[in-house]
Amino acid sequence: MPKPGTNVVRVTKVVLDVLKPHQPTILELSKLLGELAGVRSVHTVLREVDADTETVVLSIEGPALDYNVVLDVIRGCSASVHSVDEVSVEKTGEEAG
Amino acid sequence: MALWDMIMARIGQFRRYVRITEADEIARRYFVMNAFDGSLTMLGIVLGTSLLRMREPRVVIGAGVGASLAMGMSGFFGTYLTERAERTRELKKLERAMVTQLDETVWDTASSFVSVWAAFVDGMSPALTAFIAVIPFIISHLGLIGFETALAGSVALVFATLIFLGAYLGHMSQENIPINGMRMLLVGILTAAIIWLLSEKGVETAAALLAFNA
Repeated sequence: MPKPGTNVVRVTKVVLDVLKPHQPTILELSKLLGELAGVRSVHTVLREVDADTETVVLSIEGPALDYNVVLDVIRGCSASVHSVDEVSVEKTGEEAG
Repeated sequence: MALWDMIMARIGQFRRYVRITEADEIARRYFVMNAFDGSLTMLGIVLGTSLLRMREPRVVIGAGVGASLAMGMSGFFGTYLTERAERTRELKKLERAMVTQLDETVWDTASSFVSVWAAFVDGMSPALTAFIAVIPFIISHLGLIGFETALAGSVALVFATLIFLGAYLGHMSQENIPINGMRMLLVGILTAAIIWLLSEKGVETAAALLAFNA
């Protein structure tokens, strides 16, 4: 059994289904997410457009994503996460080799 | 440099709020409409007071500054309350569409900010254009120019403001700028003509002309 704390599991990718108003645009939202520490790339796809809202799929990748900070940015842009469609994590530490 | 960065960051935020709420269009409209109001009101005060044969710059300054202030206050508070109600309605509509509360998000902040900004534009524009028309009378009060010169100067400034507003509308609509400027000027000339006709001197002249034609 490895000692607790010697292994760290980092979130490296999340794919989120997000409902947002037309403003701020997906460009602005993606840039704000891209500026976060631990984020390497953000890929955004527009899935559906309604009268006041739009549904987008955000694919965020990086060496160490802080999911709560990502949520704060999304919420700050008046958007909300409908579902978490995909998650990738990586283990670093003794066991990871 | 820190102060400069802070100012630039604030301006960036300001532009973001305006972009999000698409408030630039309404602010442009408020600006032209109310600046036009301010100019024509002052034209009325300036010509009306002068045609009463009052040759006191103080009277025009008092009436003008009072009107500027009143138009500014009316513009600011009237627009703030109206715009706030309108933005709250829009925010609630968006909240219904999003099925979530948008408190403390960018839409919430932008809506509050834009109400104040639109009110500022609406309050400042008539007060500013009205004050421009008073400037010659202030110079006259200081004894630098005569009352007649101040009167001519004030009317010229009002007309110049109207041309500028018309030209701005022309620029906005990507139409002919001089024609738009002249169109706005025509309204000013028409207003001045009506005031003159309604004045004692105008009525006398009209009566004399009618008698001459008969």
